[in-house]
Amino acid sequence: MSATSLAAAPVAALLLGVLIQLCLSPLLSPRAKGRIALVSGLAALLAAISLVPTVNGGRVVTTTLFDWDSGTPLRYHIDGLSLLFVLMATGIGTAILLYCIEYMADEREGATRFYVLMLLFMAGLVNLVCCADLLLMYASWEVIGLCSYFLVGFWYTDPAASEGARKVLVMTHLPGYGLLAAVLIVFSRTGSFAWPDPAVRQAFTGGLFLLILLAAMAKSVLVPLHTWIPEAMQAPTPVSALLHSACYVKAGVYLIARTFSFMTWPAGGQALVLTLGCATILVGAVFALRETDLKRLLAFSTVSQLGFIVTGLGLGTKAGVTAGLFYCLSHGLFKATLFLCAGVVQHAAGTRDLSQLGGLAARLPRTAFLWILAAAAIVGVPLTNGFIAKWLLYTAALDGSAVVVVLIAWIGSVLSSLYMLKATVATFFGDLPPALKHRQLAEAPGSMQVGIGVLSVGCVVFGIAPQLTMQWVVNPAAMSLGFPPAESVSWLGISGTSGASGALAAGVIMIALLVGGVLYSVATPRRDPAVGIFTGGDPLPAVGQVVTASDFLETIEDTFAPAYRALNPDPLYRAVWVQVRGIGERMDQGLTPMIEAHPFWAAAAAVGVTTLLLSVFS
Amino acid sequence: MNHTDAAFLELFLLVLASVALFATIIVQGDRRWWRLFTCLALLVVAAIVVGDGWSRRLLLDGAVFLAALMIATRGGPEAARAGRIYFALMVLSIVCIAGAMLLLGPGRTPLPHTGKTMILVLIIIGFGLKLAFVPFYFWLPTVAAAASPMTTVVIVSVLDAAAFFELAHLRQAVPWVFMEYRTVWIVVALASMYGGALLALGQRDLKRMLAFSSIDDMGYLLLGLTAGPGMGLTGALAGAFGHSLSKLLLFGAVGVAETRLGAPLTLDSRGQAARFPICSAAFIVGALAVIGIPPTCGFVGRWRLYAAGAELGGNALVIAMMIATGVAVLYYARAIHRVWLGGTGERAAWPEARVPNLTLTLLVAVILALGIFPAPFISVLP
Repeated sequence: MSATSLAAAPVAALLLGVLIQLCLSPLLSPRAKGRIALVSGLAALLAAISLVPTVNGGRVVTTTLFDWDSGTPLRYHIDGLSLLFVLMATGIGTAILLYCIEYMADEREGATRFYVLMLLFMAGLVNLVCCADLLLMYASWEVIGLCSYFLVGFWYTDPAASEGARKVLVMTHLPGYGLLAAVLIVFSRTGSFAWPDPAVRQAFTGGLFLLILLAAMAKSVLVPLHTWIPEAMQAPTPVSALLHSACYVKAGVYLIARTFSFMTWPAGGQALVLTLGCATILVGAVFALRETDLKRLLAFSTVSQLGFIVTGLGLGTKAGVTAGLFYCLSHGLFKATLFLCAGVVQHAAGTRDLSQLGGLAARLPRTAFLWILAAAAIVGVPLTNGFIAKWLLYTAALDGSAVVVVLIAWIGSVLSSLYMLKATVATFFGDLPPALKHRQLAEAPGSMQVGIGVLSVGCVVFGIAPQLTMQWVVNPAAMSLGFPPAESVSWLGISGTSGASGALAAGVIMIALLVGGVLYSVATPRRDPAVGIFTGGDPLPAVGQVVTASDFLETIEDTFAPAYRALNPDPLYRAVWVQVRGIGERMDQGLTPMIEAHPFWAAAAAVGVTTLLLSVFS
Repeated sequence: MNHTDAAFLELFLLVLASVALFATIIVQGDRRWWRLFTCLALLVVAAIVVGDGWSRRLLLDGAVFLAALMIATRGGPEAARAGRIYFALMVLSIVCIAGAMLLLGPGRTPLPHTGKTMILVLIIIGFGLKLAFVPFYFWLPTVAAAASPMTTVVIVSVLDAAAFFELAHLRQAVPWVFMEYRTVWIVVALASMYGGALLALGQRDLKRMLAFSSIDDMGYLLLGLTAGPGMGLTGALAGAFGHSLSKLLLFGAVGVAETRLGAPLTLDSRGQAARFPICSAAFIVGALAVIGIPPTCGFVGRWRLYAAGAELGGNALVIAMMIATGVAVLYYARAIHRVWLGGTGERAAWPEARVPNLTLTLLVAVILALGIFPAPFISVLP
């Protein structure tokens, strides 16, 4: 089968899954629905993988599927960048769907709705990144927006979920008009929506870049449009995982990256994106530090991590863009792992409040292990993909003499170590809190663990052998944006060398790490897990007590107190909403009683106004 | 009958059939309502079949008077007053439009400036009253609050759509009315968009909010007509089509829920989705279609209207239109989350009647199908 005929296969597989769910809904159990969704996701992933050899060779797969609207066909243009995001959506999405089978097994009423929305979510992102037409790209943009809205409000009778969904809708949909405005203005200039069309490329100007960036900022939680994401944590955990890792926040990253294909960034554009990226790194990390809700902490960590990714793209060099794209893929893997582990914790403990958790490593050892792997990746510990991603980013920033960027990224990395340490220790180490001691704390069922395991293995495999993703996915993506292939990356992220010296260096590092590990295990006496916990510098509690989130970083929280007030834009948004609503209410109170009580006088006044209008304008 | 007439005939038949199905459970008034409704449906169908001209206008005017009687059949002083207001203002509207047509004459010969201004005044007053755009909107919220939901649907989704269709014919037949007075039409359109949207934000009653949302919508459609053939006219007609369907869905959902609840839906009626999940889903889809969010049919018309705005008034007008849409997002999001979603403390849905639920489901399917595969539908529009 040719690559052209396979181009639509990922979306088709996902939509077929939707159709089956809808048609067979009354006959299937929630588990069966989950399995069907998994098969759809798997088929989409295999179809995406089958495109890799073609796209890796520098080819672009193009095809026209059907005439969507008169004069606007649904055309695909699949290049390296598209494929990176397709693989991320289908690969990570499929692992999450595997996890969902057991997680949603008791959800009798909403299982069809859930799986239909999940599959549409994935299909929406795949369609978004494959579309050659900007209008249909926008339509997909809104489809994934709606999917996230409905999924965040999945438990719609819960007021918190409902309000969270409202915030997601308003805060991401409204800036999305920036993208639509840019698309339509380009259309009015050229008569075309096709971004590969050279005429369209020439029509993009600096103002339109700002409109596109506005839309991307809201989707990719860049400061100051990031405040919807903690509220989205009312969603079922697999939704949070998909939203954060592959199918939602990454849409904005795709859009920013795609602008390299169809426009030259205006003067100041790079500085603006870098500023937004760096501010997002810091704000996300600072807010994550004070969170005591495990999922909200992860949500703010997504804000911070997206800052790293966008900073990479903002550097605008081949090394920077490569680093940003590698970071994007890596973040998908470790963030999905962390969310899915958080789901297991919440499921087992009945809470995600860090002050009520602790000591779960003893009862959920496999979950703790997988969490630690992903936490190591997000912090940037060697042997994980997070290390490679950060390494590439620092290198790119240093190559570009962006010392301030390096400094901010370094501070962000330190802060991410602190909040991940807080989350890890408060959840998994110390003694079990009294409330959990008598609770049945069981590990997640096998399929859920496999789902998490696949993702966390990815964090390690692509940390040890990053050349796999660099060669097959990331470099073709950067090349499709017009950047030459980046310097080759070898084992453990060692770059610039090939052959014996690189392998030797990698070998030395591996041996050193192994020896270190052996020495540590031999030299460290076995201890009660409840004592000797590193708390980040605060006084240790008495032996046997639980170390909770509030024991951590109180000093830092106090230090950042003014920042928490100053950096939260929600009061401003609320003030705008109150003002707009107030105008409407005052207009209604002022006009309606008078007009409706005397409709014929109102008609006479309206005739007078019309005549006046005509005399002024005619 | 041309393709566009045929498309609108199909639309009206769908709306009228749906209204009849909804009316089987939503209390509309006494038996006279059904007789009036049947006569109105026949007049509307006949008006489309006879084609453009005086006969169509007369048949539609007859339907408008029947609608005024339908408002009054609900009973009570408020309904009677709303019926009287509607009747009187429609008489004024018909007189103005007829006057404009007479002044235009059959040959539509060149006219002096004063004559043109006079015709324009009559057209704006006549169609302004019929279509309820600012500053002639004031009858619509009164009617929406006092009439039964299905009577309001007949007025908004059939009679207003037919009147708009008539105005679109006028746009093609007498282009100077729009081309020479673009600024006036743009001001009226923007006033409708912003006036309707801001006043909708001030409402607590859902039916009144929907009425103001219709006024808001009319602003976009007028702007499309002003832009003229191409994106503007196609967008306006596609928008009118989507407007009819989505308003039918919205009023249908509200009507079904209100009938079961026995009280009007207001912003204080929290968590109705727990009781009426299908009505709630239908309302959300209807709201998305009115706002013009893909993949609903509303987007098919709306993006063309934005593009027409870009042609007509450049980037500033597009952005102004989008800001007005943003206000619409705010009031619909508030309605969805204050009225439908959230908690009531009840877990189980109330038993719902099958026929209206099936009708709502079918309408949702039509709105999505036209949004996902709009090409066949768009190809029949001019």
